[in-house]
Amino acid sequence: MTAKYVGQPVKRNEDPRLLTGQALFVDDVHLPDMLHAAFLRSDYAHARILSIDTTAAKEMPGVVAVYTAEDLGDFWQPSPMIVQPPPTLEDIVFNPRPQIPLAKDMVRHIGDPVAVVIAESRYIAEDAAEQIWVDYEPLEVVTDIEKALEPDSPLVYEDLGTNLASHVRQEKGNYAAAAKKADLIIKRRMVIDRGAAAAMENRGIVVDWDAKTQHMTMWNTTQAPIPIRNGLAATLGLSEHQVRVIAPFVGGGFGPKIMLLQPEEVLLPWAAMRLCRPIKWIEDRRENFLGTTQERGQIHAVEAAFSKDGKILGLKDIFLHDTGAYNPYGLTIPLNTQTHSMGVYDVPNFYTEFKVVFTNKMIVTPVRGAGRPQGIFLVERMMDLAAKELGIDPVEIRRRNLIPADAFPVHHSIIGQDFIEAIYDSGNFQPLVEKARLLIGYDKFVTEEQPKLRAAGKHIGIGLAPFVESTGVGPYEGARITVESSGKVNLVTGVGTQGQSHFTSFAQIAAEQLGVAVQDVEVTTGDTDQFHWGTGTFASRGAVVAGNAIFAAAKRVRAKILAKASEVLDAPEEELELKDGAIRIADIPEKSISLGELAMLANPLRGAVEPGTEPGLEATEYFGPKYGTTASGVAAMIVEVDPDTMLIDIKKFVIAHDCGTVINPMVVDGQIHGGVSMGIGHSFYEQLIYDENGQLLNASFMDYLVPRSTDMPPSIEIAHQETKSPLNPMGSKGVGEAGAIPIPAVLAQALENALNIDGLELLEMPLSPGRLFELAQAAKNRD
Amino acid sequence: MENLIEITVTVNGTEYHRTVEPRMLLSDFLRHELNLTGTHVGCEHGVCGSCTILFDGDPVRSCLMFAVQANGHTLETVEGLGTPDAMHPLQNAFREKHALQCGFCTPGFLMSLKPFLEQNPNPSRDEIREALSGNLCRCTGYENMVDAVALAAEEMRNG
Amino acid sequence: MKLSGEFIFDGNRDEVWELLRDPDELAKALPGTQSLSKVSDNQYTGKMNVRLGPVSGMFSGKITISDEVPPESYTMQVDGRGAPGFVKGTGAIQLMEQPDNKTLMKYSGDVQIGGRLAGVGQRLVESVSKSMVKQGLETLNMALQAKHAPPPSATAPEARSPEPPPAYTPPSEMKFAMGVAKDLTTEFFSSTDRNVWLTVGVVLVSFALGYCFGQKRRGG
Repeated sequence: MTAKYVGQPVKRNEDPRLLTGQALFVDDVHLPDMLHAAFLRSDYAHARILSIDTTAAKEMPGVVAVYTAEDLGDFWQPSPMIVQPPPTLEDIVFNPRPQIPLAKDMVRHIGDPVAVVIAESRYIAEDAAEQIWVDYEPLEVVTDIEKALEPDSPLVYEDLGTNLASHVRQEKGNYAAAAKKADLIIKRRMVIDRGAAAAMENRGIVVDWDAKTQHMTMWNTTQAPIPIRNGLAATLGLSEHQVRVIAPFVGGGFGPKIMLLQPEEVLLPWAAMRLCRPIKWIEDRRENFLGTTQERGQIHAVEAAFSKDGKILGLKDIFLHDTGAYNPYGLTIPLNTQTHSMGVYDVPNFYTEFKVVFTNKMIVTPVRGAGRPQGIFLVERMMDLAAKELGIDPVEIRRRNLIPADAFPVHHSIIGQDFIEAIYDSGNFQPLVEKARLLIGYDKFVTEEQPKLRAAGKHIGIGLAPFVESTGVGPYEGARITVESSGKVNLVTGVGTQGQSHFTSFAQIAAEQLGVAVQDVEVTTGDTDQFHWGTGTFASRGAVVAGNAIFAAAKRVRAKILAKASEVLDAPEEELELKDGAIRIADIPEKSISLGELAMLANPLRGAVEPGTEPGLEATEYFGPKYGTTASGVAAMIVEVDPDTMLIDIKKFVIAHDCGTVINPMVVDGQIHGGVSMGIGHSFYEQLIYDENGQLLNASFMDYLVPRSTDMPPSIEIAHQETKSPLNPMGSKGVGEAGAIPIPAVLAQALENALNIDGLELLEMPLSPGRLFELAQAAKNRD
Repeated sequence: MENLIEITVTVNGTEYHRTVEPRMLLSDFLRHELNLTGTHVGCEHGVCGSCTILFDGDPVRSCLMFAVQANGHTLETVEGLGTPDAMHPLQNAFREKHALQCGFCTPGFLMSLKPFLEQNPNPSRDEIREALSGNLCRCTGYENMVDAVALAAEEMRNG
Repeated sequence: MKLSGEFIFDGNRDEVWELLRDPDELAKALPGTQSLSKVSDNQYTGKMNVRLGPVSGMFSGKITISDEVPPESYTMQVDGRGAPGFVKGTGAIQLMEQPDNKTLMKYSGDVQIGGRLAGVGQRLVESVSKSMVKQGLETLNMALQAKHAPPPSATAPEARSPEPPPAYTPPSEMKFAMGVAKDLTTEFFSSTDRNVWLTVGVVLVSFALGYCFGQKRRGG
C-alpha cells in the first residue's frame, strides 16, 4: 500500500531554504541596471491638488524620471473593479469607485499616491520625492461613518452627491413576525474599529521589461499573480503570454496582498517600458500603514429576539461598513459579515441590512477574517446578553441554539461573497462545544476555581465562543503534476504562497497518490509562466480548492503510471503497487521499474505511439466547488485583568476546531496559532487611530502594537474534529482565518466575566487597557 | 557620489572591502552590496527585529546602524549560521517544531536567539518568551517558537 | 491638539509686545530657524529646521497676525509645510500688566498636524510642543533680561537683581534638543507640572512648524 501522508505532521520542504537565508523574497531580486522607485503620498486626507512642481526633484543627480498623473496621459485610467457586487443581489445600491494610478486633481485619503520618482537608488528617490512641491487646497474631511451619511457631510466624491457606496438588504424568514412572539428583545449598538494586516514583509515589486524579446517579468508580493498578469497585460496593451508575474516567497499576506492593479502595480510596469530598465519598489513600514489596505470598521445596530427558554427566534442587524476612500473590493466584507452573523446557531429569522460608506481613510479590503469576526462578535454578544437577562448559563444558552448535526446542509437565503446563497455544507457543533468546555475546564473553573480566586481578590473570568467560517470558496483552481525522468515529481499550481506551507501540504497530497517521498515532490506556486489559470490565495481556500485540484491531477497521473507500467511490466494494473518511487508487481517485488524510467518510456524520442497518446506522466486538473464549505470551531479562554492597569493576562486558551480532512495537523495548528495571535492583537493591542482630520496617528510599530510573544497565552491547546465536507473529494475545509474569527467575541465575554461589574457590557472592539478602564469606570458610575 | 568611505567588514568569516556612502544603512549594505539577502528588513525603525544580526557577537538591528559603523568589526548573518545541508541546532529545531511559516522574520529571530542560548543554555519557558519578545512575528503566534528554542537548547546541551 | 498656558515676562507690556513682534528676536528664540522675516505689518514668513526624535526636516511657513490690540492681544494663524508634513494652527495671545514691571502672557491655541509628523511623531508632539514653547519663552525672557541688565562694567551693588542676570546667548539646536529631552523626562516623572510650560504666541506656532520628524529612513 502506498505510504499515507495526508493527515501526517510532515516537516516542511520549504524550511531549510527559509531558515538559512536562501529563499527568494521580492526585495532579494537584484537585476543589472535596476532603478528604484519612491512614491510621494498625500499628507492630507482630503484636498484638491492645485499644482505639482517636480522641477527640483527632476534636477537632482541620479533622478531618472518623476511622474504625476498628468504625465500618464491616456494611460491614466481607473483600475478595473476587483470584485463586483453579486449579480444575484436584487435592488441594491452600488457606486463603484475603483483605485486610480495617481491622484489627479484630488487626494482622498492620507497616503493617496500623488507622484512617483524613479532614480538610481532608493536613497536618491526618497530625497527627490521630498523635493516635489504640491500645492493643496485642504478640504473638509469625513472620517466618521455615521456623520458621513448626514446631509451636510463633506463628500468624498462630489459627483456622487452622497457618501453612500452601497446599500444592501437581505432577509431570511421574517424577523418582524418573530419579534412579535418573543419574550425578550435585546437591542445594542456595537462598534468595531480598524486594524492592520501588518505582514512582516511590506509590499514590493520588481519589474523588468525586455524590449528585445518584448517580454515583461514582474516579481510581486502578491496573493494573486495570475489575475495581476491578466490585468497588467490588458492595461499595458500586451498579450498575456508577454507578461510573467512571479510571487516568490512572500512574507505574509493576510488579505491586503490579494489586491490587484494598485497604483504601484500599474505605474511601475508602465515606467519600466518607457525607461527600458528594471525598476524596484519596496514599500517601507510607514507606507504600509498609509498605502496598504485595512479592515474591520463597522457600526452595528443589533436586535435579537429570544424566547424565555433562551431560544433565539430572530436576529436583526443594520450596520454601516467603512470602505475608506475607494471600494475596489466590492461587497466581500459586509457580505461575509451578513453570512456569518448567525454563527453556529439555528436562527430561523434574520433581517440584515448594510450601508457601505466612503470616508477619507485608507481603502478597506479583507484582512484575515474579512468581515467574519464582526458577524460572530455580534451574535455571540447577543447570546451573552440574553444569557444574563434570562439567567441561563452562557454555555447552556449556546447549546440550546446550536444547529443540530442532522440539519445539514443548512440554507440561509442570504447571498454571500461568492454570489450564491450561504449554505452550511456540514458540521457537528455540539461535540465541538463539549470539547472546548472540557479542555478549558469550564465547569470546574466556574464552580470551584473562580469563586476562590475572586475571594482572593483576583479579577479572573472565562469565555467560550463558537464560530463558523465559510472557506474554500470558488470559482476554481488548477494544478499540473508531472513525473520527471529523474523520478522526481513536479507540481505546479496557480495559487501563491505566503507561509501556508503549500510546498509541503500540496506535496503530501501528490506524494500519497504517487508513492514518492514528500521531499521528492517539488512544488511551484505563483509563477504565471508555470501555470496560468487560477484566481488566488484568499478566503482560506488554498488547501480546499487548489488541494482538490492537486488531488484530482495526482489521481490521473497515478492512473497513467499504472497504465504505462502495466504495459511495460506486462501485468494487470490491479497487481501493481506504487511505492518508494517505483512501480512493482505486488507479488513479485523484484519485477519493478522506477518512476523516472517509466517517465522516460512515456516520452519516447523515436518510434511510434498509439494515436491519441499523451506524452509523459503528466496531468492537469481543475477543481471548482459548488459553493464554499463551512469550517467551524469553539474558542475558550480564561483571562485575568489587573483592575488598576487594565492589563490582561490570558491564562489559558483552547480551541476545538473542525476543518474536515486535515492534510497536515502541524500546519493546521500553526495556522490556528497565527490566527489567534492576530485576533488577540485586533481585539486588545492593535488599532489604527485616525484623528478627525483623517491623519493616521500611529503609523509605526512604535505606536501600533503587534502582539509579542509575551502578549500571548502560555499555550494554545487545540482539539481537532474532522467533519468531512461533502463538497470536495478530499473532504477538506479551510483554516487560514479561523483563529482570528472568535477572539473578539470570546475576549469580550471573558473580560466582562473577569471584571464582574454590574452593567459593564463590552460591545466594541478593539479594546485597550485605556478603553477598558474608561468603560469600567462608566459602568461603575452608572450604578 | 561625494564623500564615499572605504570600509572593511568581516561577515561570516569573509573579509569584504567596499566603498560606501556614509548614509547607507548596514541592512542595505549587507543585502544589496554583499548580496546577503537572508537579513530581512521589516520596519526600518528597529522594532520588528527581522534585520537582527550579530555585531562582534552581540545582536543588533542592522536597520538602525550605518554600514560605516561596521568598519573593522565582525558580523554574523543568518547565512553564517548554517546551510540547508548543515543547519544549526536552532534551525533544525525551528523546522522540527514548525516555528516558522512565511519565514520572513525568522532570520532575525535566529540571530537574536543564538547569543541568548549561548548565555542561557538551559532557559525556562518564561525566559524563552522574554527572549523572543524583542522580535515580531505575524504568522506563528510564537507558540511553536517557544517549543523550538527549548528543543534547540536541549540539543545544544547534549552536544 | 490644544495648547494653552501662561508665562511671566520680566519686562513691561510694551517691551514684551515689541519683542514678540521682532522677527530677529523670535528667530533667535527658535533654534533651527533659518529665516524669519516680516513681509507685511501682519505677516511673517520663515523657514525652520527642527529635529526631534526620529523625524526631522525643513518647514516653510507663514504666520498671519489678526485682531491686533496693541499691546494687549492678538490672534495668529500659522500655516507651515515641509517634507515631514504640515502644521496648521491658530493661537490667541493676551498680555496683562503685572506689578513689578512684569507681564503675564496668556495663550491658547489649537494646532493641527499632518503627514509623517502626525503618523510617526504623534506620541511626542504634545510634550515636545510644550517643552519647545517653554524654552522659547524662556529664551525670549532672557533676551528681555539681558536688555535690562546694566553693562558688565557697572556692577552697582544696588542692582535690582541680587544675582547677575544670565548672559544671553541663544541656545544652539543641540542645546535646545537636550532641553526638550530633559523636559520630556521631567514630564514623564511628574505629571503635576504639566500646565506650567506652555505655548503660543509666535513662539508656539512657529515651534509647531517644526514638529516634524523626518523619518528619513535612508538618511538624506
